[in-house]
Amino acid sequence: MTPLQVFFQQLLNGLTIGSIYALIALGYTMVYGVIQLINFAHGEVFMVGAYAALTILLVLGIAQPLVGWLLVGVVLLCGIASMAGCGLLGLGIERFAYRPLRTAPRLSALITAIGVSFVLQNVVMLLYGATDRRFPPVIAPLRWEVAGATVTILQVIIWVSSAVLMLGVQALVMRTRLGRAMRAASHDLTACRLLGIPVDRVIAVTFCIGSALAAFGGMLFGVYYNTINFHDGYLTGLKAFTAAVLGGIGNIPGAMVGGLVLGVLEALGAGYLSAQWKNAFAFVVLVALLLWKPTGLLGERVAERA
Amino acid sequence: MRRWGAALLIVACGLPLITRNAYHIDVLTGAGLYALLALGLNVVVGFTGLLHLGYAAFFAIGAYTYALLNLHAGVPFWLGLLPSAATAGLCGVLLGIPVMRVRGDYLAIVTLGFGEIVRILFTNLESWTGGPNGLLGIAHPTIWIPGQGVWGFGVRSVPYYYLVVALTALTAAVCVRMNRSRVGRAWAAIREDEVAAACAGIDTVQLKLLAQGCGAAIGGVAGAVFAAKQGTITPDSFDFILSVMVLAMVVLGGLGRVSGAIIGALVLGVLPEVLRGVEQFRMLLFGVVMISMMRLCPQGIMGALRARGLFRSPSSTVDAVPAA
Amino acid sequence: MGNAFCKPRTPRHITHYTLNIPQATCVGILGSLVLLVGCSREPKIPVIKVGFVAPLTGDQAPHGEDMLGGARLAVEQVQAGGELVPGYRVALVALDDQRNPTQAVSAAKKLVADPDVVAVVGHLNSSCTMPASAVYHQAGLLQITPVSSNPKISRQGFETFYRTCATDDLQGPAGALVAVRELGAARIFLIDDMTTYGRGLANEFEKKARELGANLLGHEGITQGDKDFTPLLTKIKALQPDLVYFAGMFPEGALLIKQRKDVGLGGHFMGGDGLFDPVLIELATAEAAEGIYLTTIGSDVHAMPTAQGFIRAYEARYGPLGAYSAYAYEATNIVLWAIQQAGKKDRQAVLAAMKTLKDYPGLFGRQNFDEKGDSLIRDVGLFTVKDGKFAFLKTASWD
Repeated sequence: MTPLQVFFQQLLNGLTIGSIYALIALGYTMVYGVIQLINFAHGEVFMVGAYAALTILLVLGIAQPLVGWLLVGVVLLCGIASMAGCGLLGLGIERFAYRPLRTAPRLSALITAIGVSFVLQNVVMLLYGATDRRFPPVIAPLRWEVAGATVTILQVIIWVSSAVLMLGVQALVMRTRLGRAMRAASHDLTACRLLGIPVDRVIAVTFCIGSALAAFGGMLFGVYYNTINFHDGYLTGLKAFTAAVLGGIGNIPGAMVGGLVLGVLEALGAGYLSAQWKNAFAFVVLVALLLWKPTGLLGERVAERA
Repeated sequence: MRRWGAALLIVACGLPLITRNAYHIDVLTGAGLYALLALGLNVVVGFTGLLHLGYAAFFAIGAYTYALLNLHAGVPFWLGLLPSAATAGLCGVLLGIPVMRVRGDYLAIVTLGFGEIVRILFTNLESWTGGPNGLLGIAHPTIWIPGQGVWGFGVRSVPYYYLVVALTALTAAVCVRMNRSRVGRAWAAIREDEVAAACAGIDTVQLKLLAQGCGAAIGGVAGAVFAAKQGTITPDSFDFILSVMVLAMVVLGGLGRVSGAIIGALVLGVLPEVLRGVEQFRMLLFGVVMISMMRLCPQGIMGALRARGLFRSPSSTVDAVPAA
Repeated sequence: MGNAFCKPRTPRHITHYTLNIPQATCVGILGSLVLLVGCSREPKIPVIKVGFVAPLTGDQAPHGEDMLGGARLAVEQVQAGGELVPGYRVALVALDDQRNPTQAVSAAKKLVADPDVVAVVGHLNSSCTMPASAVYHQAGLLQITPVSSNPKISRQGFETFYRTCATDDLQGPAGALVAVRELGAARIFLIDDMTTYGRGLANEFEKKARELGANLLGHEGITQGDKDFTPLLTKIKALQPDLVYFAGMFPEGALLIKQRKDVGLGGHFMGGDGLFDPVLIELATAEAAEGIYLTTIGSDVHAMPTAQGFIRAYEARYGPLGAYSAYAYEATNIVLWAIQQAGKKDRQAVLAAMKTLKDYPGLFGRQNFDEKGDSLIRDVGLFTVKDGKFAFLKTASWD
């Protein structure tokens, strides 16, 4: 491989994990945009999504790669079921853990979020065991050589499906009534309430959509890496949160850009500097970027007053 | 409030006379170390309102400073405390300077990044820090007793317990006084409204740096005690979870309250040990308790008690600010 | 904005305090917790306890559970066989250290403070075993670690410390010898998982490989829990090594093995005992794992005639044998043997009995310990993966 081909390959590697980061980061950013809560349990919802997809595959007894319409059907079923399941989980978490704290200091909700993430992690550990689980390979490995770099079918699926979902979310937020309500809620909750916007419902729906996106990311993660562990939500969630901030938290295109940039940065850091500095490199760039642009890549200027 | 504090201190001092169980004393020593950390973080988050998610870094810096000084220069524990506090404090200020422009949750992520970078540095700078193996053979504290000569703490429990109780009490007293001083009022002003504080003539830059330096220095002291107590330190003792746990202690106890930081640290520090009967369910129950407690007292434990008219001292208008 | 998280949105003035339903639920949960913990006391029959510490929650819980299975089985077998020491029953106290050195010391102190505990099996991670060993030493409590292989631990000179596994300074060189001499690897790339275990093992391998004149292309660390190693593997591919050595645990090992195929990295792949778990092959897929090499502490437990009974009993009770189950079983049995020899509930007596141990008939052959407490069974087994299963090749030498 020539150095240019290596670089191209690293870029592709980074875009793949970056797409997954971006999907999870969307959930962080949507929730943050509406109620200014860093939902630390979001990474765990992502992990639950992966386990939900695994459960469905196990129930269907699928252990081998599928082809044709069967494949499409199974992937759709898995995707929809785990998204629906995690959407409900998100609703539940919001209803029972965060809503009672809406009037409390914001840090109280943050601590609750940490508690929720302990609970989700340990429930999954007790249900599925602590050992890594193998995620059945649903999609047959197919790879192409593009300009000297290897591209797999899975990578293409990850890029395409996450792009479609992200554009969908962007359209939902910018073009629909619900989206308008979300944007309004992110500006001023009290004013929304006065205008008759059902704020509680808007917040609940935001959690639901964010969690569903994370679940889809979880399924892709499982299919791509073929192994899942109850602890996967921690590191990936942390990265996705970083991506959301990198792009400008509360900003939807920002989350997408942040996810992709972080993925590529990590790949280049591991590929050209050193893998053991990979995480440090990502954080150094993040800190440097925030010092240069204190509200992230695409973030708006934050008002001085709350 | 002062009476309650004194009562708590007396009870704390008397405990080793009641229980001979070294394990109980050790659990309380651990909770005391958490209390020190929580007091330090409370200065930054509670008093001044700067969300910090990388506080474990200062704990690590303090621990490694003492360990390196001890291993390479033979510096005894008592002399090592000062450089540990100073190095951590300096790092706090140095981190504070560039992040002055970053606010709110962006500050949270920058400090989180700082915490991770420090941990990765300690893991990767193998020739200095021993890398993942950490540093071994750090000297335990010793004291000189007239007539008996030098007496080492070793891995006994009670001496560390008294050391931690003394340091916590001292730090708590200093924090209370600081909070009631001009500086404390300025911090509160910054927390409530930074722009207004600046307009009122408060040098917000200097005071924010002071808060970060003080908070970090307290973390450094805790780190030195930790290193001396353990005898071995490895980078995985200083991970993000620790930063998050200390923050949880501060918030659960009651943000901005010295008493709250201590109570929160005692509750969350002792709880995992109380739950030891049910090992694999331990962290699950821990999470459930955290959620339940936040739900029962959204203003923190001390906030909830005060709202019911308990522990209200006549002169406590200043440190009751966050709930007002 | 910057200060918003300190402020409540609306002040709350509560004069009369009543619980609403969710709050009452929370109180209920807290209350029942207290009861649960309070009621978990055991009945008063004289008991001798064997302590056990390993990570049972957190990211290392899988390995801890493997160990716990082995330790439990040993104790259960003794319980089923009548009284080990007349007038006492034997029980296992399993504690969790979350692979956190601070918690490891807490757990150690808890065991030390319990007068019924006469010996300890644990811990898993060398970083935990190290500080905890000082606590056991001070209390005169026998400790046998089944798997903490960092050589520095026994160099502390604690007479309470024993270990049943070979140290990294045997396994690393043995791997290097096989790699250079037998596989003919001239260009080697090293990866470790930046833990006490992984870094220690990789450094020992590196030292020996250099001595043998191999060309070390690089030594990199990965983060435990990370999933995506394609950037690193892509970089390694460009260097065209003959062999990649990974010192770490099987979850990351499996991903490295699988992704190595995905990026098209050729050459040999070798690892240490952290990979020796059937789950590795399941996770990496049999196809990708085919032909990798790994060294283990002790030779093949499955091939040991002495271990067949154990393997059957274990698999009937807990499912497939984990990487560390056999070592924990061995360590627990030795502890139980020492208790039986002592014949009473006395730490000093148990420790003294341990010192008399000679040619203990264990799973891996006749166990003896040197003056540092390290096992004298210093076999390093060499395995490969063939048809989706570990296949024993030979006992490798280390110098």
